[in-house]
Amino acid sequence: MVKELKIIGKSTPKLDAKERVTGKSVYGHDIELPGMLHGMILRTKYPCAKIISIDVSEAKALDGVMCVITAADVDVNQIGYKRDHPIFKSKTVNCNRDEIAAVAATTKEIAKKALSLIKVEYEVKKGIYNPFDALKEDAPKLNEFSHDKFGNKNIGESFHYEHGNIEDQKKLSKVIITKRYETSRVTHCCMATSNITASYSKLDGQLTIWASTQVPFLYQRDVAHALKMEPSKIRIIQPIIGGGFGSKLDMLPFEPICALLSIKTGKPVQLLYSREEEFIASPTRQPMIIDLTTGANENGKFTFREVKITMDNGAYTSWGATTPFVMMQTYSSLYQVPACSFDAKAIYTNNPFAGSFRGYGNPQATYSIETNIDLLAKELGIGKDEIRLINANYKGEITGQGLNFKTCGAIPALKKVIEESKYSQRIKSQISNSKSQESGRYKKGIGLASMLHVGGGAKIYRSDGCGTRLKIDHYGYLTIITGSNEIGQGSETVLAMIAVEELGIPIEKIKVINTDTDVKPWDVGVHASRTSFVAGNSLLGAIKLIKEKLNKQAAKLLCIENSDFIYQNGSMFHDDKEIKIDKVVREMHFGLPNELCVVEYFYEPPSSFQDKEFKGDVSGNYAFASQAIEVEVDTLTGKVKVLNVFVSQDVGRVLNPLALQGQIEGGVATGIGFALTEEMIYKNGMLLNPNFHGYKLLTSMDMPDVNFYPVETYDDAGPYGSKGVGEAPLIPTAAAIANAVADAIGIEFYSLPLSPEKILKALKEKTINKVLSI
Amino acid sequence: MLDFDVISPKTSHELFEVISNSQDKNYRFGAGYTDLINDLNNNLQQNLTVINLAKLNDNNFKAININENGVQIGALVTATQLLENNIIQNNYPVLWEATNSVASGQIRASATIGGNVCQASPSGDMSCALVALKAVCEIIDSKGNIREENISDFFRGVKKTSLKKNEILRSIFVPINISKNIKSGYIKVGTRNSMEIAIASIAYHFQKDEQNNVIDAGYAIGAVAPTIVFTKDACDFILGKNINSLNETDVKQFANLIKKYAKPISDIRASAWYREEVLINLSETILK
Repeated sequence: MVKELKIIGKSTPKLDAKERVTGKSVYGHDIELPGMLHGMILRTKYPCAKIISIDVSEAKALDGVMCVITAADVDVNQIGYKRDHPIFKSKTVNCNRDEIAAVAATTKEIAKKALSLIKVEYEVKKGIYNPFDALKEDAPKLNEFSHDKFGNKNIGESFHYEHGNIEDQKKLSKVIITKRYETSRVTHCCMATSNITASYSKLDGQLTIWASTQVPFLYQRDVAHALKMEPSKIRIIQPIIGGGFGSKLDMLPFEPICALLSIKTGKPVQLLYSREEEFIASPTRQPMIIDLTTGANENGKFTFREVKITMDNGAYTSWGATTPFVMMQTYSSLYQVPACSFDAKAIYTNNPFAGSFRGYGNPQATYSIETNIDLLAKELGIGKDEIRLINANYKGEITGQGLNFKTCGAIPALKKVIEESKYSQRIKSQISNSKSQESGRYKKGIGLASMLHVGGGAKIYRSDGCGTRLKIDHYGYLTIITGSNEIGQGSETVLAMIAVEELGIPIEKIKVINTDTDVKPWDVGVHASRTSFVAGNSLLGAIKLIKEKLNKQAAKLLCIENSDFIYQNGSMFHDDKEIKIDKVVREMHFGLPNELCVVEYFYEPPSSFQDKEFKGDVSGNYAFASQAIEVEVDTLTGKVKVLNVFVSQDVGRVLNPLALQGQIEGGVATGIGFALTEEMIYKNGMLLNPNFHGYKLLTSMDMPDVNFYPVETYDDAGPYGSKGVGEAPLIPTAAAIANAVADAIGIEFYSLPLSPEKILKALKEKTINKVLSI
Repeated sequence: MLDFDVISPKTSHELFEVISNSQDKNYRFGAGYTDLINDLNNNLQQNLTVINLAKLNDNNFKAININENGVQIGALVTATQLLENNIIQNNYPVLWEATNSVASGQIRASATIGGNVCQASPSGDMSCALVALKAVCEIIDSKGNIREENISDFFRGVKKTSLKKNEILRSIFVPINISKNIKSGYIKVGTRNSMEIAIASIAYHFQKDEQNNVIDAGYAIGAVAPTIVFTKDACDFILGKNINSLNETDVKQFANLIKKYAKPISDIRASAWYREEVLINLSETILK
């Protein structure tokens, strides 16, 4: 029996919900400091060119301009995951984002005017915008700082992983299917555009930055490296963040540039992206070309997966190049896979560099695998639901890569969506003759897909931990100072709920402090769906310590032996004895032992590092999910309407149902956009649709019903048995939609997005071929 | 960021005076501002004056007036006002549906019909419906002279109208239906259900006698040519035909006549091929 809890598992609104909806939240854009200047960046006019000259004299002479800087004016280090990225470009420009100069002025208008006065002379070069072109012998070296470690001058990063014996498994295969899949470049579309306010004091050399980062402590180190400063001289404060979704993992050039403008002028400087700039110069999902071969034996058991992934790295290397860490888990361990060979290469081009994005490569990997599974099933004549159940991950499984599934909701999740969506009644390709009977304009179909993702952090950095400090004041209020960050996902609220659960302090009396690197203990950052897991466990550890302290003092005051107390409504109970927490705290301070009621705890997850072959149990636990999605294809326009989404996800245990539903619906929305409508359209390295008119982010009016069925597996590692949930709901969505479209019209597509034009063209070709074959 | 002068006339008299006095200036009219602000953000002209019509208190500009000949819709009538008008909803479903497809609820609350028409976008939704309805533009100059022009003639190209510098669109007249038996509607092809610009659009308004023979036909296509086009030959072809039981050949012929008017371009939103293909596919379904 699982213990019924007081608040955990009950819908609780976000702590700052009222501030958010009444417009009182202070976002980065709302910050205004005395004497603050406005910074702006001049970006390149061409994606690939030699810079002949830069003349900033007229801009400098403009009234109200306080500072103009270019590469010549600064002494900085290169940035990026591979340190192959100069903050300012001085000799060449290599992608459409490239920063050439920056100004700080008293108003935004003057700053904008100043940019227009900077004269840059270019010698335009023919760029390379296709990674395969970049691999050719005669291609120029595209990033002069790359290390040439991988056998080709334009390979920026390379991964190889394998387990099992591919050749043996090939022999056991009845069906082998090879396909090339292509995924497009999409972007996060955060409601708040990128922003930073930097304030440098020439008096003490302290730099304070208000930044929308997801990883403040890594960011502090990155900024320090870029500016050649001591990290501890830099204080990072996070304002309310209007959307992260992975986009704020990399530190980008605009951030040290803003700091440099403040350092040069000695005044606070704010730099805000316009929406157009946000599209052009904020991160994207890594576009990929995936060559996948898979096999299955006559019983439908998977035999092997062999995959080669070509990633468009863009001009510089971002965290996006490391998405293979996550993808190799999916290829090696989503379903039981006896043998796997995985190769991924990030190839320099003159396109913009990507970055990290919710799912971290997993949506792309899952799209290829799950659509491929439908092909295997079709070829074998096995049900598409059946083949997944035959191969599903199970509790106790240790995968070829070493992931240890101590709990596993893969089969329950699959069964749930199959049942709830009435999959077997609806799947046309498995019901004989139904397809030929269906005529008319709209054709319905249903698709199924599953996913595997880390659920208990991911040990990639040297520590995957999180620190917590707790303080109970004289009046019984609890302050949680946590290393973890809130980026809208609701982690503050979950932490407060945990404290309510354990300490019986009402939620109104709980404060969460989490925005200041000078105040809070270390945490690696918000990513990998880790915050509730890692910060929750860290908080539970701290609560244990503070309870020991309170118990001891209360026992003394009540003249009983030190023992456990029940915490409820701000009081501590033992048998028929009661004492208020605030009284215990005051007595602890004003009486002996004259101590404050504060504790500190650091939690490091039990996960382990991968070895050199990328093997190891990298996460505290693992999340599993399945989605069944029903679509309707309009055969006259090619437009796909998503009718119904069924999501079942192993969340370990539901902590806050309201926030969880939000995560699920938000993830599905992003997944639908990735599947059907969103695409950054580039022509020769320049973005043609840097606005919401041309970039088709879906709106609330486009959302289908999302039916969500949590699976609770009560994993020992997570707080109350929970697992990470944040990224999972978007990972299988595109795959399920692609499978549904194939079911609806009998045509498989191997690239995203499934645009109306692509579908209409295919339908037309199919009709023509049919006519020709008669 | 936006730097321009604003003049806000409150009466027609003041408006005409402002227009007269501004003839040597660079000015734009602002009504709902849903397109203007975007325009200015993208391309702010120097020394611009915005003549703000939002404060104008003149029912010729602001009201929906109904008489025995039809409906006179003031240029400053908002999309929301149109949607809330039962006469429009019952008699001109094409206009109601087109209006309802404009952007989003928030934008419809301030966007005006006059703004939609004067913007002269080939993908204008309300404009497309008005072309199908054979609406007439009522144009007034700064001296108070009025001229009327069929809306199809009013549109002269992408973002071009017949308006002279001293003229303003005061209202739009939609003729009364000659029959209660109508088939009327608006089809907009686009990716999103809201905040969308048409990739192709069709406005149709057929009036029929009791036997369902077409006695008046209005059919306009949007986003497939430099202006919204009234497909006259297709309309003439359908006249006198029973629209509820057209044979396959007639449907094809009708669609072919429409195709003649389509001169689509390829852009980031859709290829010319796609625009023409959906235009024909959907034109055929309307009659099926």
